[in-house]
Amino acid sequence: MRIFNRIVVVLLLAGLAVLGVYMVVYSFEAFGRQLSDLSTALQGLTSGVEGFASDVENGSLPILTIALLVAIALLGLVLLIMELKPPSPRRVRMQRGTYIAPDVVRGEVESAAEETPNVLGSTTKVGAKRRPGALVNLQADVRRGEDTNAIKSELRERVQQHLARTGVPLGRLKLKLVEADPRQTKSRVQ
Amino acid sequence: MADGILNLARAVSAAALATEGVYSLGTGRYAEAATYEGSEKVSGVVVTPDEVEIHIVASYPLARPIPELAQQIRERVAAEAGERRTSVVVEDIEVTREDL
Repeated sequence: MRIFNRIVVVLLLAGLAVLGVYMVVYSFEAFGRQLSDLSTALQGLTSGVEGFASDVENGSLPILTIALLVAIALLGLVLLIMELKPPSPRRVRMQRGTYIAPDVVRGEVESAAEETPNVLGSTTKVGAKRRPGALVNLQADVRRGEDTNAIKSELRERVQQHLARTGVPLGRLKLKLVEADPRQTKSRVQ
Repeated sequence: MADGILNLARAVSAAALATEGVYSLGTGRYAEAATYEGSEKVSGVVVTPDEVEIHIVASYPLARPIPELAQQIRERVAAEAGERRTSVVVEDIEVTREDL
């Protein structure tokens, strides 16, 4: 279920739960509440809504309320756009009629990364898009004090070459080097 | 017609498996990749009226780039697939026994 649907369902269920609690409280006359008081409570609610509506008509809403309404409208717009956006494909498109699972691409990227000198370990996320090419986010662990620019450049070249040999088109490669303790990385150093 | 689809799936499966560089047929990652009819199914090949989708596990090391492997599979199954569009999905890469 996508986020927009989740929010709608969560709000609906929360509303139903609150109404259910009210029903139980008023039905069993718990906490001194009686069913006859309900009409008074509802009248209070409707008068509050009417007051809000008249404030809107008169243009006399407090700044904070206007800001809150604008924020809710923007949030709704963002969620609507996210909902209308088509989901990203599950497989990486290589060329017309050929696809590859993101896990396979991840394995290939990590094997290329971990063959790179001074890279102690790596974590990769692979995404797919509608056009051919994989979206790769690679985080590599290196020792403290290493020349990160040189490692980054070598790493990029190796990953690109390895994927080219395999035939996997690369849509985007994001590299991040993280200084790590060699005793705690995948390639352990005693 | 349905029996034809199963026979087609079997023929495509055999042709794909006979291609050098194909370790096995995949079973699907998010949903089972198979062609069904009655109590029978052919795993790894999904035949629809418009398309034939072949799920493969490639052998490692790769004898050639994956697009070339996919093209070779498409050529091998072209006779069986006929007018249907053919897609190849690489689900995994498996190290062959002699390379272990």
